[in-house]
Amino acid sequence: MSEPRVTIRFDRNGRTYRPGERLSGAYRLESIPRDEVKTVEVSVLWHTDGKGDEDLAVHDFWRRSVEDDAGGPIQIAGRFETVLPNSPMSYEGAILKIRWCVRVRVFLTRDREVVGETRFRLGEVAAAAKARTT
Amino acid sequence: MARSFRVYQKKRGNRRTGSKKLGSAGEGLFFALVLLVGFVGLVVLIATLVIPEWRANYQFIRHPCTVRDLRIGQKEGDDGNLSRPEVQIEYELGGKTYRVWTYDVHTVRGGGYSAREDEAKTVLDGILVGRDYYCYYDPADPGVAVLVRGSDGWVWLSFLIPVSFMLIGGGGLVHAILTWGKSTERRANLARRASRLGRIATNGKARTDFPYVPAPDRIADSPGTRLAFRLPVVDSSVGFLLGWLAASLLWNAVVAVFALVAVSRFVSGNPDWLLASFTLAFALVGIGLFVYFLRRVVVTMGIGPTLVEVSDQPLSPGGRYEVFLSQTGRLRVNWLEMFLVCEEETTFRHGTDARTETRRVYQNRMLREEAFEVEAGAPFEAACDVALPPGAMHSFKSLHNEVAWRILVRGSAAGWPDFERSFPLIVYPRPNGPQRP
Repeated sequence: MSEPRVTIRFDRNGRTYRPGERLSGAYRLESIPRDEVKTVEVSVLWHTDGKGDEDLAVHDFWRRSVEDDAGGPIQIAGRFETVLPNSPMSYEGAILKIRWCVRVRVFLTRDREVVGETRFRLGEVAAAAKARTT
Repeated sequence: MARSFRVYQKKRGNRRTGSKKLGSAGEGLFFALVLLVGFVGLVVLIATLVIPEWRANYQFIRHPCTVRDLRIGQKEGDDGNLSRPEVQIEYELGGKTYRVWTYDVHTVRGGGYSAREDEAKTVLDGILVGRDYYCYYDPADPGVAVLVRGSDGWVWLSFLIPVSFMLIGGGGLVHAILTWGKSTERRANLARRASRLGRIATNGKARTDFPYVPAPDRIADSPGTRLAFRLPVVDSSVGFLLGWLAASLLWNAVVAVFALVAVSRFVSGNPDWLLASFTLAFALVGIGLFVYFLRRVVVTMGIGPTLVEVSDQPLSPGGRYEVFLSQTGRLRVNWLEMFLVCEEETTFRHGTDARTETRRVYQNRMLREEAFEVEAGAPFEAACDVALPPGAMHSFKSLHNEVAWRILVRGSAAGWPDFERSFPLIVYPRPNGPQRP
């Protein structure tokens, strides 16, 4: 049996979005028995990477839980849609990187978790290494 | 891949892997213990200090007595001899004569000691043996009486300790409960919603249309004389000097206290050479701090203020702007340069330290002038244009990370150390985002 995983795809081709643009797509839980799923959280977020401690901020967030659905099973596939903000832009700096992604976190029975994540770029800021230094 | 409960954790900075639930439980338990310690401390303080003091002040009954004897009570404490005033009084009640050693309610309860023997002597000097006074006896136990009532300030000050424990423990426990079993994203979402409420409460002053871009309010609130905006200095000389002065005064005040104790030991014929040596070393550091402060005052006042103005704020990638520079003072300048720079600044934890690293990722020299003189009343003035790269990163600030744009003025003048002054700029993303090629 294959490993449990989450697949995420965007509706539009290409992974670069402009501020204010609509981001939409779908996720699917694969090789995960439906009755083992307790909660699914979908987040559109950015986080920093690099030398400093990580900062993370959620732009949009959806949560579906068995308790919310009066004990009924959670759908193994779902959609997400949001309008992207004006900032912060995706950035590849020297000691700081800002990365946007859609993250789906699935809470299973027996205290297990499955996380799926797909990155995208917000804006087209030049990487720091390519910036002109005179 | 499904991840199950994991006790073992790897750690890099504040990033962890492993069981969040176990971590939260440990955190909650720790703060619950801190809260409990604070609560127990508070109960003990109330029971041993506040209630006896309150009873002495409001429930003890006034009654005539005669002072029979005086003495200084002493005991050995951790820091040497401790003393307290003790007064023997005699009073009659219900046909029975009571003779007790007392002073205030703390004395009665076995406390009231201090390291100052002279204070105890001063108290006793004001009391005459054989003279009649009023005492206050406990109606529940007439054998307990005090000569002095009132409230000691230190009793209330001592509440700071358990209350601090309770605030830290209570706050941590509430945080642990609120975040219990919640994912990083869910917690971040709660924080986002809370900050939205905060913005509504502050009448929407914070800009929500450009999240995590610093608001230009502080930078754009000062009009210039040549161009639209005069920029503030980042590490203002005045602010820096005041901070340095405060630090050196604080340091030297602490050293002065130690010096006073060291000198008093010498005067009393009981010199403490270890204390004297440490005090001398710390005094030398204090003198160094003050000398550096004086040097900075001389440099700041001698070189004179640097003014920078820009034609617009906030700036935008791809935009072109005018910049005006004015340098006042009486100087023979070797060279003066003005740069547009962009720096990344990150803060990270290394063990128990918080460290900051800065990396300059863009630098564009806008101006360089050499070998000229600045006269009093005739400042050096120069204007130039600057263009921001079209694909430049906007200003960004989060809790531990920052992208900061600034104008940097560096100079060298005869007879003075080199100087550098920094002026913040805010760069916003383009209104519709960077254009696609």
